[in-house]
Amino acid sequence: MNSTNDAKELIRILEKSFDIKDFTTPKKNEISIVVEQNNLPTILTYLKDKGWKQLSLITCVDWIKENKFELVYVLFNWSNGTTFVAKTKIERENPEYMSIIDIFPGAKYYERDIHEFFGVKFEGNLDSEKPLFLELWDDKPPMRKDFDPLEYSKRKFPDRKYDVEVSKNAVKDAIKEGEINERT
Amino acid sequence: MNIFEEDLNDTITFWEKIKNIFRGKSLWMLHYCTGCGAVELPPTMTARFDMERLGMGPMATPRQADVLLITGYLSVKTLRRVIYTYEQMMTPKYLVGFGSCTINGGIYYDSYAVINRLDYYLPVDLYVAGCMPRPEAIMNTFKTLENMITKGEANGWKKYVENYDWYRNNQIRSLGEVYVKDEFHE
Ligand code: SF4
Repeated sequence: MNSTNDAKELIRILEKSFDIKDFTTPKKNEISIVVEQNNLPTILTYLKDKGWKQLSLITCVDWIKENKFELVYVLFNWSNGTTFVAKTKIERENPEYMSIIDIFPGAKYYERDIHEFFGVKFEGNLDSEKPLFLELWDDKPPMRKDFDPLEYSKRKFPDRKYDVEVSKNAVKDAIKEGEINERT
Repeated sequence: MNIFEEDLNDTITFWEKIKNIFRGKSLWMLHYCTGCGAVELPPTMTARFDMERLGMGPMATPRQADVLLITGYLSVKTLRRVIYTYEQMMTPKYLVGFGSCTINGGIYYDSYAVINRLDYYLPVDLYVAGCMPRPEAIMNTFKTLENMITKGEANGWKKYVENYDWYRNNQIRSLGEVYVKDEFHE
């Protein structure tokens, strides 16, 4: 079976009913589409019906200059080994999106994950705001591009103070003794 | 071993010194394998280096263990469990930090989730430098630790009791609260 031909057929069907903005095949056996926010759950339901039964991942990308978050849904089809990636963009201010736990129950934890690391709320997932990995987190979601991990780390986890002069002198001594070579 | 004439009359020091000799000869370690450094422990334990020659053996529970090995980076989440583990261990207890991550944060110095220096939160008796330390370095450390214990120099556990407020404040500063909330076992 040639899964890429099948995929082209599938895309034709999808294009007929939905507004698909972009369609690419970045790798062999991988199809990627960009869709409108409102169409995504319907498309996922359709794909699940067509054999993409496994939800491998939901993840999020922060496009800070565009002021958007991009949600990425990765599905896998075990009968022909094809990966299907569906992407959609949502607003970055007060981000909110529909939960897909009715379609893929396993989405529950991915949605909690995204809420924790990007701050996206998922309507319909009652647990989506419960913390999952970060215990007692007290700052903005850490995977947003405007979060500064170094500043946070300096504030919360003090570092060891080194005496810079001592280490410089140690290096000089070592060069004098011939233990290390001076870089040219 | 330096037991002197005057120690023989001072029962506290005398028995303490005798006890230290025995403590150094039989170390049960709890290896809390937090990070990549742990990968050097299997060769240290098995045929090639065979650390049981030194009287060290792995132990499954904190209550029976003497040495706590922290083998690598510690995330904030893990640190909470490590503090619990350390406090469950019986005194005397010794703590060894493996690798640059426990010394100064290593390659995770700017991470939002990984602490930078272990001795800020728990008393560390000995560090092994390296990213990651070779089994030879680890064997060397165990030997050093043994000597330190026999001489009565590994006093981290006493330091922890004496400076508990300082350690506690540091723990709270970085963790917010040491209490572990575990939704899967509620
Ligand atoms: S010091 Fe190196 S080997 Fe050890 S935990 Fe850190 S990164 Fe891993």
